[in-house]
Formats: sequence, C-alpha cells, structure tokens
Amino acid sequence: MTSSSAPSRKALSKIACNRLQKELVEWQVSPPAGFKHKITDNLQRWIIEFVGASGTLYAEETYQLQVDFPEHYPMEAPQVVFIPPAPLHPHIYSNGHICLDILYDSWSPAMTVSSICISILSMLSSSTEKQRPADNDRYIKNCRNGRSPKETRWWFHDDKV
Amino acid sequence: MESDDDMHDANDLESVDEDFYSDVTGEVSDGGDAECDFEDDLSDESDEIVSRHQQNYTVLNETDIRQRQEEDISRVSAVLSILKIQACLLLRHFNWSVSKVHDEWFADEKNVRKDVGLLEKPVKMANTGEHKCGICFEVYPRNVVSAAACGHPFCSSCWKGYIGTSVSDGPGCLFLRCPDPSCNAAIGQDMINVLGSDEDQEKYAYYLLRSYIEDNRKTKWCPAPGCEFAVDFIFGCGSYDVSCNCSHIFCWNCTEEAHRPVDCGTVAKWILKNSAESENMNWLLANSKPCPRCKRPIEKNQGCMHITCTPPCKFEFCWLCLGPWSKHGERTGGFYACNRYEAAKQEGVYDESERRREIAKNSLERYTHYYERWATNQQSRQKAFADLRSMQSDKLEKLSDIQSQPVSMLRFIIDAMLQVIECRRVLKWTYAYGYYLPEHEHAKRQFFEYLQGEAEAGLERLHQCAEKELQVYLEAEGPIDEFNDFRSKLAGLTSVTRNYFENLVKALEHGLEDVGPNRQPTCTKTSSSTNTADKVKKAVKSRASGNGSRSAPATSSWDSHWMCEQCTFANPNSASACEMCEH
Repeated sequence: MTSSSAPSRKALSKIACNRLQKELVEWQVSPPAGFKHKITDNLQRWIIEFVGASGTLYAEETYQLQVDFPEHYPMEAPQVVFIPPAPLHPHIYSNGHICLDILYDSWSPAMTVSSICISILSMLSSSTEKQRPADNDRYIKNCRNGRSPKETRWWFHDDKV
Repeated sequence: MESDDDMHDANDLESVDEDFYSDVTGEVSDGGDAECDFEDDLSDESDEIVSRHQQNYTVLNETDIRQRQEEDISRVSAVLSILKIQACLLLRHFNWSVSKVHDEWFADEKNVRKDVGLLEKPVKMANTGEHKCGICFEVYPRNVVSAAACGHPFCSSCWKGYIGTSVSDGPGCLFLRCPDPSCNAAIGQDMINVLGSDEDQEKYAYYLLRSYIEDNRKTKWCPAPGCEFAVDFIFGCGSYDVSCNCSHIFCWNCTEEAHRPVDCGTVAKWILKNSAESENMNWLLANSKPCPRCKRPIEKNQGCMHITCTPPCKFEFCWLCLGPWSKHGERTGGFYACNRYEAAKQEGVYDESERRREIAKNSLERYTHYYERWATNQQSRQKAFADLRSMQSDKLEKLSDIQSQPVSMLRFIIDAMLQVIECRRVLKWTYAYGYYLPEHEHAKRQFFEYLQGEAEAGLERLHQCAEKELQVYLEAEGPIDEFNDFRSKLAGLTSVTRNYFENLVKALEHGLEDVGPNRQPTCTKTSSSTNTADKVKKAVKSRASGNGSRSAPATSSWDSHWMCEQCTFANPNSASACEMCEH
C-alpha cells in the first residue's frame, strides 16, 4: 500500500489541490497550442490529447499523455507517460515511458503541466528519426508489473533531440 | 583518549632512545661484511626514522573544522570582496580549495558567477503591492513572499516545502537554485536559515560541515565507527599512517587500518580474499584449541603465543603450531620457525585428479596458514590494547604502591605495552606480505621468513617480559630489589624491538631489494641462501650460549652489555662485533 510505485494513489494534499485547481483554470483560459485536456472529475489524473506539430515527423499524429499527481505536488514531480501507442522516438519507450530530465531530476515546483506539455512537444518536434531507444526491449522487460518511470534511474544522454 | 596521549608521549621519547642507540651504533659501525649489508643500509637511514615521527597530519574536531571553514570563507570573502554567503557557495563549488577559487575567479569571473549562480546585479522585488507566488500561484502581500538575488517571488510556505524536499534528498541541497526553471540563482545558507524549518536548517548545516571534509582533497573522516574526528593530511612527506585522537590508527590513503609494510593494493586484495574465504575460515576463528597433550580445550586469554596448559597437564606449547614450546625458545637451542610455511612435499606418483586435489588442498592450506597467523596477531593486538587500558586505569598505581616507585618511574611499562601493540600490527601485516611474496623467489622468501621469525621471536620475548615477568612484581608483598633490573631489561627490550621492527618495515617496504638479482656480486641466489642458512645456524648457536649471560639478571647488569641493534642480542662489552650476527 505504501509502495512508492504508486505515488498517485495517495490523495492530494490541500496545497496540491489548490495549485491544480489554479492550473486547470489557467489551462481553460489559455491551453498550450495543440493540447486538449479530456475533462474528467478526477483532479489527480489528467488525460491530455495532442497533435504533432505540422512540418515535423509527427505532424497530424494524435497521442495521449497520462499525468498522475503525487500527494505533494508540486514539490514532487508528476508522473507523465504516453498511453500506448507511444510515438516512435529515441527517448520514448514502447510502454510510454519518457526519458526527459524535467520529469525526474530537473523537476522544479515552478513548472506546470502546461510547461511539461510544451517540453514534450518540442522534444518530438526536434526528432530527425522515428525510432525506439536502443535499449527498448531490455527496459520494457525490467518494467513489467507496472513499474513507475519515476523509479528508473534515468541517464539523460543527449539534449539535442 | 588516554592511550592516544601516551602514543604522542611515546614518540616524544623517541629522541632519548635514539641517543641510547647512537652509542651502540658507534661501537659497531665498522662491523659490516657482506652478510650484513642489509642491515647496514638501514642503519644509515636512521635519521629518516626520526623524521618519520614528525606529524604530517592534523586531527580536527568539530570546532576545529568549523573554525577552518569559517577562516576559508572569510579569506575568500575578503580577497574577492564578496559576501560571506557567496564565498561559501564559491568554495563549495570548487571543493573548498581557496586557491582554486582565486584562480578561477580572477581568470573568468563572469563564467564562474554563471556556473555557481551568483548574480552580478541583484534584482530587488518591489517593496509594495502584491506578489504572485511562482509555485502555488496565490497572490500575497510583500511581507509573505521572499526571493533570492534574482527577485523571483515565492511565498514562505512554498519556500519551506521547496527547501524541505531538497534537504531530505541529501547533500545535493548544497547546490540549491531558485525554483524558477529558467533561473540559475544560487540559494545560500542565509535563505535556508530564514525560510527552512528548524530541522532542515540543522541538516543543511550538517551537510555543509560534512562537505568541507568529504569534498576537500586534503581531509578525510576517521573511519573508526562512531568517531567524529577528521584528519587533515599534508601530501608529499612521510607515510600515510595517521593516528586519530580516538586512538584508531589508519592509512590515510585507503582508510583501512594502518598496514605498513604492506602497500594499499595488497591490503585490498588480502581483505577481499578474507571475505571470500571467510566461510572456510570460520572454524579458525573459534577461539579455542585443544591442548596438544591432554586435549582439553584451551581459550587463549593472554597476548603471547606461549601457552601453558592448566595443571596437572602443564604442557607448554606454541599456540600457532601446537608444537612443544621447548622447541621454540632459546633455552633449548631451538629457534622460532612456526612463521614458515612449507608446502607439503609431494612424493611418489600422483594421478591427475589426485594431483589436482592436492593442489587445491595445498592452496587452501597455504592461505589458511597465513590467515590464521594474521588473525591471531590481530587478536593478540586487541588483547594487548585491553591490557594497556587495565594497566593505565588500575594496575600501574597498584604497582607503584607495592614497589614504592612513583608512577612517573613506571612509564617504561606503558612504553613496552605500546610497543607490543605496534609490533603486533606490523607482524600481522607481514603475513599478508608473506602470502603475496612470489613462491619462486626462494632467496627472498627465505630471507623474509628469517627476518619475520626473528621479529616474532623478539616480540614474544618483549611480550613475555611485559606480561609474565611483570606479574611477579605485581603480586609481591613489598618492594623487590630486582625491580630496577627488570626496568632496564624491559626498557632495553622495548627499544631494541622497536628498532628491529622499524628496520623490518623499511626493508619490506623496499621489497627486500638487498636480496635478488640486483645484488649479484654478494648475493647470488645460491650464495644468499647459504648465507641465510649460515646465519640461522649461527643464530641458533650463539643464542644458546648467549642465553646464559642474560638468564642471570641479579648479577648481570645491562651496563656490562651492549645490545646489537639488528638482532637484539646482548653482547658482553668485550665483544667488538655482535656474537650472533657479526654486525
């Protein structure tokens, strides 16, 4: 029950609730271009749909992100994964896990869902090759039983893509 | 604590002992023939022995550490004319090297500022109006929000959460930056102390102190469990051995316990080997052995290897080889040889599998041989430590009463015990040395084993005297006349043993370079081994005869003898060269 693999199971703290409500209002006023928040009554899990930017390898492809917020959001980073099928990208694993520093070590509480979305879109847009990470199969095997990407010790090899 | 002070005192006494020796050396300085070259070389370096005892390190307690840290911060702050808090961040960034901070700063201030997160022009928040916290997005009046030099406002509760999250993640909090993702401004201890919880402030201060020791190239914590001292080491002179105020002596380079004459690499190999083999060794670690004669189990509760079974058996034997002690002592002309490992002789014809089994068995046996001696010396050393403590806390005073001697005149007993502890340590590591000494270097091995055997015999003599012979005076009803003889005997044995061990350590550290191919003219393989054999024979002979003069302590005073500084043999003054080793 107390397993860290399920940070989203614990109810949001009051601070987290307040902050998420503010983010949601802000999102409704000015959502990041190309992103759509699927309305649910669950404040702790957001499903976000977006379309790849035109003029990039992912133009006109639609993907879904699942964002789970921990109890102490925003002091702790949310867990962000693609709902399969995930885009073919050298930093995105076939189970939807994303290798992006701001989701883990470089998270800052001053970031928002909106800023995460923009980072992910920019990561896709700068890709020059549609392919899986080299260690995809090995990683997927290690992630069976629904391990959270936040448990992975990520190495952020290159910041070009 | 107590014992540490004594260690220093022991070192202070060094000079006295050197004087005691220089007379002796003077008398025999011309006695070097080919056989004794080895020791001659060493005595030439006796100046070095003295210099080695000059400390090349400083032990620091928490107050010292804080003071040094504060001094470094003040220095940088003054030289660069920046705030102390900025100086602290800079020093932390450059691993507390003041000179590195100066170099980098004056080479490229702008870049350093950028890397560390020190803004050139601080941005002031407007003093009035409302501010939106960048984390919870609530709007607050000015007095609730704070910002680092960059002016990005956050409310006090978000700051508290931000600092708390970072501090609970560990020492990484020393690199804390403004929460704004695009901002690089460093958060220093001043902010932590205003905005963090009490607990976080304390932890931060603790990490900062630890960092000053751990990230600094010149300092390390003492590795002894529970010890809170750190050691500042000055590179370039002397050995790596440092003695902490908690009385733990360790190698500053590898932080294992002090291990001269063995090098750090060998120690690491040996320790790894021990942990891998430890299951096989468990039976060895059991502290009891059956008496070789009556088979009753005996627990070794005294430091030296000479064991006497309880009456009626009273069998005297050697704890290491379980052979009769009579074969070990000088008394019967036997010589101490159970430090030697002789591989089982292979006789007759073996088939392949039998041969392989034999090899496996031999290699385990060989390791066991060295391990057991290594571990036994370790245990003896610990026992000697305990003895020293009981001597200092209780027995010394008792002895002073019985023998009507001031405690200050009993200093020689403490010195002897400290020497025993040090010798046990050296001896212990000579077994790791022996294990890794290549099998094929026969001359070296033989010479090494000879030297080690002599060392062991010398130490046993000292240990015996400090432990058993002392007992008589402790149990006496009143003063015994011979106490002064005992004093000179024990003091003499102590310095002679110290000298022998110091020379031994040096010789082994130099890889026994006097033996082997580079010494062709005097020591070809065959001649050196015969030399050694000769020496051993002579040693046996002269020790047997020499023993007579020493076993009559009431009449023979040490004034009428001089002690050979290499082999510890007491020669009559009439002899111009050592009767034993011809030095």
